[in-house]
Amino acid sequence: MSNVEVKTSGLTGTAIQTAAGKVSPWLNQNISIAPLAVFRIVFGLLMLGSTIRFWALGWIEDHYIRSTVQFKYYGFEWVKLLPPAGMYALHVGMILGALGIMLGYRYRLSALLFFLTFTYTELIDLTYYLNHYYFVSLISLLLVFLPANRHFSVDAWRNPGLRSITTPRWTILILQFQLAVVYIFAGLAKINYAWLIEAVPLRIWLPANDTLPLIGSLLKWQYAPWLFSWAGMLYDCTIVFWLSLARTRPWAYAAVIVFHAITGLMFQIGVFPVVMIGATLIFFPAGWHERVLDGIWKLIKIILRGFNPTPNPSPEGEGGLTSNKILIQEERRPLILCLKQSLSLFWKRIKPPSPSGEGMGVGLPRLPTILLTAYLLFQLLFPWRYLLYPGNLFWSEEGYRFSWRVMLMEKAGTAIFYVKDGRTGREGVVNNGDFLCAHQEKQMAMQPDMILQFARFLEKYYTENGVNRPAVRAEVYVTLNAKPSRLLIDPNIDLSKIEDDWKHKDWILPYE
Amino acid sequence: MKKLSLFYLLTTLITLCLLAPACDNGPDDKPDFDRQAMLQHYADNLIRPAFSNLRSQTTALKNTWTTFNAAPDSAGLADLQQRWKSACAAWQYANAYNFGPAGESGLRKGLVEEIGTFPANTVKIEEFIAANDVSLNNFNRDTRGFLAIEYLLFKNADLLFNDAGRRGYLNAIIDHLESRVTEVDDAWAAYSIEFVKADGTDVGSSTALLYNEFVRSFESIKNFKVGLPAGKRPGQTMPEPQLVEGYHSGFSLFFLKQHLEAIEDIYYGRTLTGSDGTGFKEYLDFVVGGPELVASTEAQWQKVITALYAVPVDIPLSELIAQGHPSVDALHTELQKHTRFFKSDMSSLLGIAITFSSGDGD
Repeated sequence: MSNVEVKTSGLTGTAIQTAAGKVSPWLNQNISIAPLAVFRIVFGLLMLGSTIRFWALGWIEDHYIRSTVQFKYYGFEWVKLLPPAGMYALHVGMILGALGIMLGYRYRLSALLFFLTFTYTELIDLTYYLNHYYFVSLISLLLVFLPANRHFSVDAWRNPGLRSITTPRWTILILQFQLAVVYIFAGLAKINYAWLIEAVPLRIWLPANDTLPLIGSLLKWQYAPWLFSWAGMLYDCTIVFWLSLARTRPWAYAAVIVFHAITGLMFQIGVFPVVMIGATLIFFPAGWHERVLDGIWKLIKIILRGFNPTPNPSPEGEGGLTSNKILIQEERRPLILCLKQSLSLFWKRIKPPSPSGEGMGVGLPRLPTILLTAYLLFQLLFPWRYLLYPGNLFWSEEGYRFSWRVMLMEKAGTAIFYVKDGRTGREGVVNNGDFLCAHQEKQMAMQPDMILQFARFLEKYYTENGVNRPAVRAEVYVTLNAKPSRLLIDPNIDLSKIEDDWKHKDWILPYE
Repeated sequence: MKKLSLFYLLTTLITLCLLAPACDNGPDDKPDFDRQAMLQHYADNLIRPAFSNLRSQTTALKNTWTTFNAAPDSAGLADLQQRWKSACAAWQYANAYNFGPAGESGLRKGLVEEIGTFPANTVKIEEFIAANDVSLNNFNRDTRGFLAIEYLLFKNADLLFNDAGRRGYLNAIIDHLESRVTEVDDAWAAYSIEFVKADGTDVGSSTALLYNEFVRSFESIKNFKVGLPAGKRPGQTMPEPQLVEGYHSGFSLFFLKQHLEAIEDIYYGRTLTGSDGTGFKEYLDFVVGGPELVASTEAQWQKVITALYAVPVDIPLSELIAQGHPSVDALHTELQKHTRFFKSDMSSLLGIAITFSSGDGD
C-alpha cells in the first residue's frame, strides 16, 4: 500500500517536473508584443475616460466631500478621507497616471501612480465597493510589472534601448488569466437554485426595464428571465474559451459586445461594460493587434500632417512607434534582459543569462516567480473562502466581496438603530440620514459588517454628545430576492461591544 | 476580423429585434403593467389636483389676508386662521411631490423646505419684524412658509391689529407662499408631459422620483412630526413638544392625519375624491413577491391607523407629548415598524433606483 503511494507520488513529482520543464520555456517564449501594447492603450484610455466621467458627474463631491462617515475595509482602517483638495489631487493623479499608461510615457511610474491613487480612493469607503473597481486595481497593479511600454510608446520612442516587438508569453497570459478569473467565478456563482431555477433576481429586474428600446418588449416575455439567467451563466462560464479559439472568436466577441451592451442598458453599472469590451481584446491574435497599431499610427501621421503642412516625421519617431520590424528584430534582446527590465523592482537571478540568448529553460527569476505564483493562487483561492463560513452566503455576505459575485441577488434592508443611555435607560431612535447619504444607508442596511461599523460610529458619536455609556442595537429587516423581509441580526445584541474580525458573526440570524 | 465582428454583432442584434415582437403576445403572457398609465393617473388625478387645490387655498388665504390687512379686526382674524388651516391641510396632500417643479433647482430649495419648514424660528422672525426687513433675502427658511405664518396668526395674534410692521412681514411671507405655490402649479402643466414620458425605473425616472419622495415624506412624519417632538432621538433627555408641526395653532394631530391620509392615497393611487386608480399597490400586485408584500403592508398600515385614531383629539398633540401620553409612543412605534414595507421592501420588488451611483456590473 505504502509502496504504491510512494511510487505514485514519485511519478507525480517527476511528471510535474517534466511538465514544468516544458511549460516554463513556453511561458517565457517571446511572442508579439502588440496585444500588450494595445491593451495598455485601451486600458489607459478607458481609465482616463472613466475618471473624467466620475469627476464630471460631480461624484468626487458626492462620494468624498459631502461625507460624514466612511465605512472602512477590514485591515485598511488607516486609509482616511482626504480634505477636498486632497481628493481632487488623487483624481488628478489618476488622470495623469491613466494618460501615462495610454501614451506609455514614464509608463511604470504612471501605472504605479494610477494604481496607488485609484486603490487609495476605493479604499476610503466600503460603500462604493464594486467588483469592477477591484478589477481595475488588479489590472493596474499587474501593469506596473508588465513591459507594456516597450512598443508603440513614448518611452520606446525616447529610449531605443527599450524597444522590443516581442514579449514573453506570460505577460499576455496573465492578463487573459485575470479576465478568465473574473468571468469564470462570476459564472460559477450563478450556478445556484435561485438563479437558474427560480430565475431571481432577473424575474424582478427584467420587467422593470420593459421601456428599453429594442429589447424592452423581449424583457416582458414571461420566460425571458430564465433565458437571460441561463444565457448569463453560460456566457460567464465559457466566454473565455470561445474567445481563445480562433474559429469561435468573432462570434464570441460579438457576444461580448451584445451581452455587455444589454446589461449596460438595463442596469446602472457605469463604465464596466465598456471596460470589459475593451479588455477582452487581449484574446485577439497578435496580427489583429498589429493592424490596430498600424491603423493608429496612420491616424497619428494624418493628424500630424494636418498640423504641419511640410511633413517631416523624424525617423526616430517612426522607429519608436511603428512596428519597424527589421530594426527591432536586430535589437531583439535576450529574454533574461527583457524580464529584468519588466520586473526590475524585484529582480533576483537564479542563473546567469544563457549564452544562446534565447533564454529557454532559464525559468522565471525566483522572487518574481514566487510573487506571481502567490498572486495566481490568491486569485484562485480567495473567492472560495465563503465555504469556511456557515449559513447562507447571500444572507450573511461573509466572504462575498472580492469574489466576482456580480448582479447575483436583489437585496435591500431597512436598519433602525437604537441608542440607549447606560445611566438613564432612555432609548432613542437614530435618523440614519443625519450621518449617511442615501447610498451609504442603502448599502449599510443589508451588510452585517457595515451595520457593525455604523453601530460603533454611533457609540462614539453619542458618547461625545452627552449619552452615558451608550448601548447600540439595531432592528434590521432585509428582503432577499423578493422574499418577505425578516430580521438579519439579533435585534437585542449590543453591537457597540463587538469587534469585527474574520470569524463567523454569530449574531447574524440564520436565513433558513 | 473587425468587419467580421461587426457583421456578427449586427446579425445578433437583428435576430434579437425579430425575436422581440414575436415573443410579445404569447397566449400565456400576463398582461403588461403599464407604468405610463400609472404615471398619467398620478399626474392627472393626484398630483395636479393636489397642487391646484393648494393653489386655490393659498390664493384664498391671500385674499382673506388682503381684506384683513385693510381693516384688521377679530372677526377677520378668525376667518384668516380658518383659511390658514385649510391651506395648510391642502399642503399635506402636496408634501410628497417634492420633485420636478417643486424640487430643488440651483439655489432654490424644494417646496417642502421653502414653505413647509418647522418649527418656525420665532426669534429670527421677531428680529426681522423689529428691523422692518421684509426682503426675505436670506436662507432662513424657518422664517417663512406655512409655519411662520402660523406663528404670527396664532401667537399673540392681537398684536396684528395695531402693528403695521408685523402685518408688513406677514404680508411678505403670505405673498412668498402664494407665489411659490402658483409657480409650481403653473409649471406642472408643461412638466406633466415630461413626467409621463419618463416611464422607466432608473434613477431620473418619474416612478423613482415619485417613489423616493413618497418615502421621504412618510419618513418625515415619523422622524419630525412625531419622533423628534416626542424626544425619541438619542441624546434627547426629554420630550420637546414645541417641535411639533402646528405648535401655535394646536392643529398638529389634524395635519398629521391629513398627511398620513395623503400617503395612503399615494400608495393606493386614490384621488382626493376617493376614487381608486392604478397606483403603487396595483404595481406591486403585478410583480414577483408583490401580493405578499401588499398583504403585510396593509396589515401593518391598519395598525398605524388604529394607533393614529387612538391619540386623543381633544388635547393638543404638544400637550399629549409633554404629558408623555402612551398613545403617541404607540403611534411612533407603529410608524417605525411600517418603514421597511415602504422603504426597502417596495423599492426592491419594484426595481426602483434610489441613487445615482453605479452598481456592480456583470
